[in-house]
Amino acid sequence: MISARTRTALTCFGLCLISACVTSTVDEMVYNEPTEGIGDDSVVILGRRHASDYETEPDFVSCVGDYISSGDNSITVIDELTFLNAVYPWFEPRTAPLHPADIERLLKQKPVAAKMADLKVEYMIWLDGSTERTGGSGSMACSLGGCFGFGTWSHDANYEATIWDFTDKAAVGHVNTSATGQSYMPAVIVPIPIIAPVQGTACDGIGQQLLEFLSSEH
Amino acid sequence: MSHSMTSVSRAWPALTATLLLLGLLNGCGPAHVVVEGKFPAPLIEPLPLTLGVWYGDDFANHEFFDESKSKHESSWIVSTGVAQVQIWDTLLNGMFTNVVHLKTQPTAGQPIANVDAVLIPHVEELQYAIPRHTQIKVYEIWMRYRFDLLSASGTPIAQWGMTSYGKTPTGFLQSDQEAVNLAAVMALRDAGANFATNFSRVPAVQDWLREKGVPISSEPQ
Repeated sequence: MISARTRTALTCFGLCLISACVTSTVDEMVYNEPTEGIGDDSVVILGRRHASDYETEPDFVSCVGDYISSGDNSITVIDELTFLNAVYPWFEPRTAPLHPADIERLLKQKPVAAKMADLKVEYMIWLDGSTERTGGSGSMACSLGGCFGFGTWSHDANYEATIWDFTDKAAVGHVNTSATGQSYMPAVIVPIPIIAPVQGTACDGIGQQLLEFLSSEH
Repeated sequence: MSHSMTSVSRAWPALTATLLLLGLLNGCGPAHVVVEGKFPAPLIEPLPLTLGVWYGDDFANHEFFDESKSKHESSWIVSTGVAQVQIWDTLLNGMFTNVVHLKTQPTAGQPIANVDAVLIPHVEELQYAIPRHTQIKVYEIWMRYRFDLLSASGTPIAQWGMTSYGKTPTGFLQSDQEAVNLAAVMALRDAGANFATNFSRVPAVQDWLREKGVPISSEPQ
């Protein structure tokens, strides 16, 4: 038997959960989609790390990779750090190719060409962007008796994925995603953070578009 | 029994005070980062040369100390020496067919047997920035190196400078120390990448490689 007070608390909690929502937009433009999937070849997903004031988060890069490989088991996604170590020093922020045409010059290095053939890299996907906290308000006071107050803040995520075809040495698609969400933290004795999954939503949005591009099953 | 109980009960305040003092001292002490990381071997064709290498004490035990400027900031000690030796050993072993660690410090004009040249790296400067300083959510490390390349006869072949930079984003439940370590590892990787891709572009090194009959490959940059 649930008391009226518990029911009210649960309703409030449920309403709060519903209100921590995320708005997301995905734009896609792709060409030369592999109609029968990528077969035995593999995909590598890398974060761009050229900007001075932000850094594409490594956990976002692995989130997109996990989304693709869990959506289609037949797609081999090479882990970012494994790839960067295997081809060191050619994909460090200082040396990474910025344009598909640079691949040709890179492959003139015999050890690099051999390693790429060994890894069977067919597509290289560059992720560029970050999730930023954009504002916050509210106040909270805590003492031995607990915390009282209310806080809210928002996050904006903006990412762009650029798909390079390694065989044709050409860019074959761009996917943009942006997500905005408001998080809340009401506190009546105990603070209850209700976090808007902004980065996760951006990961799902971009991951789904890339999965549709790479997989024959989607 | 009662005597031991009394001793224990008397010892408690002293023990608590000691622990509290140690905790306070620990809280007030400098943030110390001993840089640790794994560095991959370079994917390049090694130059057919035997390189002698000398790591001076200032290099092998390199440490950066930054004293706090206010009560609200902590001082920082960033020890990169062990990681420097680790990455440069890995890098040079991949760049040259043979690498020899010299046992005595080479001096100009003194011949060195069984090597084609001797490389002496120096860390001249290290700077760091954390989000508290810059208000952006990345940790940064910047380093400046100087290299001396001597011939087997001990005459200077080349001297040149090089910078490296590493940054890492803030992470959930990541301490300042962990983030500075990651940024330092990125800076060391960048140093290796910069050296490996630009070594044969240093004009004096290029001349020396031509003298040795080593083909200078065109690099994909």
